[in-house]
Amino acid sequence: MFNEIVQASLVIIAMLIAALFLIRKYVLLPKSKKASKDCGHDDCGC
Amino acid sequence: MGRQINVALIGNPNTGKTSVFNALTGLKQKVSNYPGTTVDKKEGVCKLPRGLKAHIIDLPGTYSLNASSLDENVVVELLLNKTDKNYPDVAVIITDVENLKRNLLLFTQIKDLRIPTVLVINMADRMKHRGISLNIPLLEKKLHTKIALISTRQKTGIDELKDIIYNYKEVPTEPCLDTSRIDPDYFDSLRQAFPNQDLYKLWLVISQDANFGKMSRKTLEIEKFKTKSISELKRLQQKETIKRYQFINSVLKVGQTVDTSKATGLRARLDRILTHKVWGYVIFFVILLTIFQAIYDWATIPMDFIDGAFASLSHWLKEVLPSGAATNLLAEGIVPGLGGILIFIPQIAFLFLFISVLEESGYMSRVVFLMDRVMRRFGLSGKSVVPLISGTACAIPAVMATRNIENWKERLITILVVPFTTCSARLPVYLIIIALVIPEGRFIGLSYQALSLMLLYLIGFGSAIVSAYILDKLLKIQRKSYFVIEMPNYKVPLLRNVAITVVEKTKAFVYGAGKIILAISVILFVLASTGIGRQFNEAEYLVRMEVAGENLSEEEIETRIASHKLEHSLIGVAGKAIEPVIQPLGYDWKIGIAIICSFAAREVFVGTLATIYSVGQDDEATIKNRMKKEINPVSGVPLFNFASGISLLLFYAFAMQCMSTLAIVKRETNSWLWPMVQLVFMTALAYVVALIVYQFLK
Repeated sequence: MFNEIVQASLVIIAMLIAALFLIRKYVLLPKSKKASKDCGHDDCGC
Repeated sequence: MGRQINVALIGNPNTGKTSVFNALTGLKQKVSNYPGTTVDKKEGVCKLPRGLKAHIIDLPGTYSLNASSLDENVVVELLLNKTDKNYPDVAVIITDVENLKRNLLLFTQIKDLRIPTVLVINMADRMKHRGISLNIPLLEKKLHTKIALISTRQKTGIDELKDIIYNYKEVPTEPCLDTSRIDPDYFDSLRQAFPNQDLYKLWLVISQDANFGKMSRKTLEIEKFKTKSISELKRLQQKETIKRYQFINSVLKVGQTVDTSKATGLRARLDRILTHKVWGYVIFFVILLTIFQAIYDWATIPMDFIDGAFASLSHWLKEVLPSGAATNLLAEGIVPGLGGILIFIPQIAFLFLFISVLEESGYMSRVVFLMDRVMRRFGLSGKSVVPLISGTACAIPAVMATRNIENWKERLITILVVPFTTCSARLPVYLIIIALVIPEGRFIGLSYQALSLMLLYLIGFGSAIVSAYILDKLLKIQRKSYFVIEMPNYKVPLLRNVAITVVEKTKAFVYGAGKIILAISVILFVLASTGIGRQFNEAEYLVRMEVAGENLSEEEIETRIASHKLEHSLIGVAGKAIEPVIQPLGYDWKIGIAIICSFAAREVFVGTLATIYSVGQDDEATIKNRMKKEINPVSGVPLFNFASGISLLLFYAFAMQCMSTLAIVKRETNSWLWPMVQLVFMTALAYVVALIVYQFLK
């Protein structure tokens, strides 16, 4: 039972982090962030 | 004591400045540290006629007066400070005949300070080798200066230079550029605020402020003047540079002729072959073929190793970790998702290795020159080639690279067509689908798979230039532009530079794509493991009832149960909803989900499929094998067959599957109109082409 609760909690936390990351990258940041000139350094967006 | 004048030797690095200094002074120079910097300046004396002596000061090499480093700033500080004991009576600008265009930028800037400025064109002995001829009287007239054509190697022209320095008072001080043209309103207000100051000097002080903080403000007491923000000043600096190059281009167009057919020497001979109107393209084509063949031949072993390693890792995690949702997420979601993208590291690294070698060797500039001929017929200029070629890495820096195209129409067309070129994000999709649907045989030693990949690159480039042609006809904007490219010397690529490029580009691909794929894998796994309704919750009971009469092994029944659950999970329900739209293209709902997820970034496609196909699977099969085993439930044939595979490849060749590129296009065009046009046109084109191809081939 304890194992199931821990595992379910870990999945929920991972899911929330993933969702926040994608929202931040594709919804919030494109409005304010300036893309780097160079692909690969910082977040060029790709 | 005889009269003495100060003569400053200024020029870009590697123009032979020190050789000129030695020729003038007869190697009598002394070396002293410049105050406050670690940069050396050399000083010497040159005897001129009638007892006149020239105090020659050899200053550090600089590319322009928009100094960005402290050694470059030494030159600017001296030229702006009339009270300096070394302030020059005459400035002698040393240029290299092979790089005259670039070198003249500094000349025009110093000329505008109204110091008597002499132009020295060095390395005249190289003119014949390069097929260069100069109209010196015309250049002197256009540039308002005196020119000495010299060769320090052959010791010619030095006496003429001494004569010009001796008669420096006859050198016109007329400027090359009307400074106020950079921004009439701003320079008018500047002139009104400081009526007694030279406008260009003021501008230099202000722009140096932008580069170095508060330097020199006090010299001209301009702290009361409300200056522009640093970003605005930088923009004006760029505008100044563009205006100067426009002036230089117009001067060189009439004063300099480069006839490569008359050029001699190894470089010229190589250039003649590599930029030949027939052989140039043949050689480029052969190089491309070799690259794609090598990518396939060399990368197979490391790719198989990575694929197998991730499959084993998934299996091992399931065995050692306590069973449950988080373990399944790790073993069936995250690991296969990441493995699906990391498997392509060897091929991507090899591709960038070849591109880097071609760039380092100087060959890429010849390709740009070669492509200019093709581009012009399709409404683009040679300047569009650079973004199109850099688009093979990523469309984002490629769209930003269009900033050096002055003409708005050409720039807009280039921005709109750049996403057609095959970027590294398309590569994983191409590689996995080619591996599944194209046979492994060879044709004249070249594998079908390598040829298919090359064909896809050519399709990308072809669609870009055909679209450019159509846009050129549709967009009614006047245009006129010139393309000038400086051909670098051929050289053996530096191993260090090549290694840095390969590592950085591969790292960018892995980190950039890896983070998105990781996040999407987690979400997809949760959506694929969650469902509502009886069909999902009682999947095991329903499947066992259904197969009760069939003679199936326990393993087969387990697979059926996993498949049934996936089909009725949240992602399955969503996928089924869009299936009618994509079924005519030969795809099932799982591919549909992968296509939707890859709207974020193309490479997500493979990671998504890897995750979907791994959910509920306990075996140690690789991603490729799982995709190979998939059966189309409607037709009963393998899902990834020749017809659906080609349809999928062409869909990805044309579709605008990159949100980041759309965001950059919006920023660069300052409008949502163009990214939306791009999105709708490219997606519609991709759908129609994929539909026609599948219906024709099935």
